[in-house]
Amino acid sequence: MATLRQRYSYMVWMREFELACLEGVATREIHGELHTAIGQEAIGAGMAGFLRADDAMCSTHRNHLHAIAKGVDMRKMLAEIFERESGLCGGFGGHMHLMDSSLKFSATGIVGAGMPVAAGHAYASRLRGSDSVAVAVVGDGAVNTGAFHEAMNIAGVLKLPLVVVVENNEWAISVPFSAASATETIAERAQMWAAQGMRVDGNDVEAVASAFGEAVARARRGEGPTIIEAMCYRFRGHFEGDADTYRTEQEKEDRRSVDPLAITRKKVLDSQLATQAELEAEESSIAREVKKMLGEVRLDPKPSSEMALQHVFVGGE
Amino acid sequence: MARNLNLSQCIAESLKLEMERDDSVVVLGEDVGKQGGVFGSTRGLQKSFGATRVLDTPISETAITGMGVGLAMEGYRPILEIMFVDFMGVCLDQIYNAIAKNHYMSGGKVRMPIVIKTAGGCIGSGAQHSQCLWGTFAHLPGLKVVAPSNPFDAKGLMAAAIVSDDPVVFIEHKKLLLTRAEDFPFGSDVPQERYEIPIGKASVVLEGSDLTIATLSGTVLSSYAAAKRLEKEGISAELIDLRSVVPLDVETVSASVAKTGKLLVVDEDYLSFGLSAELVTRVLESGIEMKKFGRHAVPDVPIPGAVTLEEAVVPGEESIFVAAQRLVRSE
Repeated sequence: MATLRQRYSYMVWMREFELACLEGVATREIHGELHTAIGQEAIGAGMAGFLRADDAMCSTHRNHLHAIAKGVDMRKMLAEIFERESGLCGGFGGHMHLMDSSLKFSATGIVGAGMPVAAGHAYASRLRGSDSVAVAVVGDGAVNTGAFHEAMNIAGVLKLPLVVVVENNEWAISVPFSAASATETIAERAQMWAAQGMRVDGNDVEAVASAFGEAVARARRGEGPTIIEAMCYRFRGHFEGDADTYRTEQEKEDRRSVDPLAITRKKVLDSQLATQAELEAEESSIAREVKKMLGEVRLDPKPSSEMALQHVFVGGE
Repeated sequence: MARNLNLSQCIAESLKLEMERDDSVVVLGEDVGKQGGVFGSTRGLQKSFGATRVLDTPISETAITGMGVGLAMEGYRPILEIMFVDFMGVCLDQIYNAIAKNHYMSGGKVRMPIVIKTAGGCIGSGAQHSQCLWGTFAHLPGLKVVAPSNPFDAKGLMAAAIVSDDPVVFIEHKKLLLTRAEDFPFGSDVPQERYEIPIGKASVVLEGSDLTIATLSGTVLSSYAAAKRLEKEGISAELIDLRSVVPLDVETVSASVAKTGKLLVVDEDYLSFGLSAELVTRVLESGIEMKKFGRHAVPDVPIPGAVTLEEAVVPGEESIFVAAQRLVRSE
């Protein structure tokens, strides 16, 4: 299990990674919509260190931090996001569809669609008779899809080793959670699927880690599914380029002032786990590392046009 | 000598043989376990392999197909039964956004060796329980689409679908499922042992010289009956069972048209943007001289409820006979 000190490092890596992605949007190296999770690092970092290679994780369109938490190679992720042949999926996936089969990590651009896939991973654990678990990370928008209900119900009735982390950033694009959910919380819905439900402060990396660790352990023991609702705030628009007029400037300013990185940094200092100087040195070292990684990625070739017809079928047609 | 079983039992036998030789084959679906499937094509499997490997799921098509994706990522070969092909609308997202695309989106690293087995075709069940829809699945890149016409093919094509590393939509015709093997004029002898029929190879059911009738699934049987009547009228029809829509065996059809010069595509699926136009176009593109062609499919209407109405829009022995005769005799 990771320490608070290590979790802070994860958070810095995650923030720097997302900032590198933002750069690619500005320079038009990244096409299509890019969804960053700046402001949601405490959830990604809170999940780090609990999962084994044989545990699965199914993520969303806003998946970068989850992949990092699962241990997916950041260099390959960045290359995929920057549309390079050296990318995790050879440039065939793009940022919304990062997949690493060796780590059982996958992401989908369809809201809610990762839920039944995670249930399938959990069922594979049952078939194998193993204690591996499956994690689905979704946003608050996904909880109102049929896929979410179907997957939770089957996980509940079969007592599958499934951990669902809902990043409740309060907004499904422009629609606030309060206008979309019949229940005040997502956690309270858990009981209808015979699952455990808990709501945690998603800006508190230790609270997330504690809840997640408990849910994973519970799943490994064969005690069934858990829903962790982690409250957070998306610092940027739904995607890069989102005019984001549905949230007032005042709201955004107020909420961004509660930055999980700053909170965690203060905790690390207050607990005397590192000195100010040590943290500054690490922060600039990570920033340099990511910059270096981006520099390398930019030299990687783009997939060539004649490759576009590959991989439709394994055996060809 | 035909064994005393119906087509659905041949499929169940094929599934059993594959499950015996490969532990990674699992079955998920509604009523597939205790009941053995509403058409009986999974009967006996739960008894042989247990309730975990042959799972009776809730009525949750999205969960069934989505779990298939997760299971495939874990190295399993899931067979997902969606009771009627019409119900695929409920879970089409997992089918075309995940099952069909994951291999491609992962740059060839993730495999989806999934069989989605389902029942299609008209037996008087109205608009929501009668469709074929193979044209819909064929339109979506990444899915193989198989629809057998007889017991021998059903067993061998199912074996090939299960060992395929690509996802296969396997559409069983409801009318054929419940037909006894001995009542098929072709493909009625089904060996007890395992065998495979390669996916993508059409079969010539009847040889002929005046026109080529190309079709698959239930209308092979009705085209066969029509061809026998045409023979009495002095028209020699070559009947080709396509067996699959993807891959589409244009080579076999083109070779036949090179001989007959005329092609009638019979399709129990909808007419527009479907199998019939695709096959005609591909034969034309192949450069074979084709003097005439015709398309006989469901005009673009939903399948009606009353059988008198259904018969008015679904190709059957009589309408195929008329369409073939018209194609050959018209100048």
